[in-house]
Amino acid sequence: MIQDYLILSIILFCLGILGVITRRNVFSVFMSIELMLNAANLAFIAFSRLHESMDGHVLAMMVMAVAAAEAALALAVVILLHKHKSKLDTNIFSLLKG
Amino acid sequence: MNDFLSLLPLLIISSGAIILMLLAAFEKSRLETASYLSMGFFAVAFFVQLLVGCGPTIVIFNNVFNGMLAASNFTQAASLIILACGFFTAMTTHSYFKVNHFSSLEFYAIMMFGACGMLLLTLSQELITSFIALEIMSLAIYVLVGYNRSNVKAAEAVLKYLMLGAFAGAFFTMGTALIYGGVKSTKFVEIGAFCAANSATAPLILGGTFFIFVALLFKAAAFPFHAWVVDVYDGASTPVTGFMATALKTAIFTVFANFLAQNSGLHGSWVTFLFYISVLTMFGGNLIAIGQSNLKRMLAASGIVHSGYLLIALVAISTEHFTGSVIAYYLAAYAAGTLGMFAALAYLGGEGEKRCTFDDFKGLAKVRPYSAAAITVFLLSMAGIPPTAGFMGKFYVITSAIAADHMALAILGIVSSILSMWYYLRLIINMYFHKTEDTFETKESVFATACTFILVFCVFAIGIYPIVI
Repeated sequence: MIQDYLILSIILFCLGILGVITRRNVFSVFMSIELMLNAANLAFIAFSRLHESMDGHVLAMMVMAVAAAEAALALAVVILLHKHKSKLDTNIFSLLKG
Repeated sequence: MNDFLSLLPLLIISSGAIILMLLAAFEKSRLETASYLSMGFFAVAFFVQLLVGCGPTIVIFNNVFNGMLAASNFTQAASLIILACGFFTAMTTHSYFKVNHFSSLEFYAIMMFGACGMLLLTLSQELITSFIALEIMSLAIYVLVGYNRSNVKAAEAVLKYLMLGAFAGAFFTMGTALIYGGVKSTKFVEIGAFCAANSATAPLILGGTFFIFVALLFKAAAFPFHAWVVDVYDGASTPVTGFMATALKTAIFTVFANFLAQNSGLHGSWVTFLFYISVLTMFGGNLIAIGQSNLKRMLAASGIVHSGYLLIALVAISTEHFTGSVIAYYLAAYAAGTLGMFAALAYLGGEGEKRCTFDDFKGLAKVRPYSAAAITVFLLSMAGIPPTAGFMGKFYVITSAIAADHMALAILGIVSSILSMWYYLRLIINMYFHKTEDTFETKESVFATACTFILVFCVFAIGIYPIVI
């Protein structure tokens, strides 16, 4: 049983990574990051069930709170970018070449 | 009582941040008041931390926090560095915002929230606490990077930093989840006990540590994850860059060392990996730095090289008698040099940071000899020339590598140090041996200038401290 949850969590995590790498829209990138965080949450909950302790639930809650804070900041950044370029494609932000 | 005292600097800084945030709500409050207040809070917290000496490790409020936080001499040294960085950054920004008008009072509050996260990160002895502290710190730093909202470069820098930082944060949580699955706990001590009893190469532990290392190496700007540093440091305003380069790195390396030191099995199985990462970080950073014409970008790349030296120290830490003194000393030496450099750039840069390349500083020594001398001292310290702090820092890192039987690493460290002379000396040559093209007029800015000269003193003081003691 635990393997199934773990495999699902890993698949979600990999989808998230794939999204961050391939997507060019700022929104999609942030959504992919949320997917990665939620994959970690799923793993926490599954392991919590396996160990029969509540620790994992608490940790998942903490991660959710942090993810919400991060999402709030990400939306602020999206608005800032939209003001400057009125587009949300990551390719057009190329002033800094590192 | 002792527990409370070790937590006191963190409490001072967090209450200071909240007070400043409330102050910002009043229309009458002025930017200067906020900067004085934040300097005051940082100074008070610094002296409290200095007076609260703690001998060996103290677990803070074991009943309440369940062993999540612990203070030791190492964390005390790290928080002293962070608080000093905060103090000098507040001084620098005071002058910087007299010329660049984009600040509001919240700037100082957010800076103190960032310092709060860093202090918590140094104390944390558990992965989720580390994650939350890491995010408190990172969220504050994202805001500071993008503070100049009318600047497109700053917006782009915050986009890149936020995207990659959140990506690294997701790796950290996944790593924590895997380790929790394997160990049934996220405390450093229990992970260490598990690794000692079982193998440190169980799939869950191996995968989990790998993900956590990815996140920490990203934040520390080590080799495969260093590309963002140059852009973000360039886009952020100068004092913020100084704060990021020093205080953030201190916090990250403290938690990294705490994590590794608790787990001898873990340290043993990852030593080869860290070895290659540190070598690649040093040489990759040097290659990037040599090609730069912008000073902030050069300093960012040199920050990557310094991360490489700190990774050498991490490879060489002994897990049985961990004191972290080499890492703390190197961080202090690096912080003094880098902060001083950014303070000097903040007031010499002028309005809108118009002086920012190597060529802009040609002939500085003829017009402003004292500033040029101060910059020279900082650059020599970063390059590791005696009798500065940077030399002693490198000396300790390399001797610790030799003591831990990593001769190759020590030699490569010295080679990289010689390579780094190239770009440090280039600026010194530009300042002293070229005709003056600019008048270098700046507005009267007492604080940044004072900060620069105090830091020159610090560079020498930290350098001779081990000899005197």
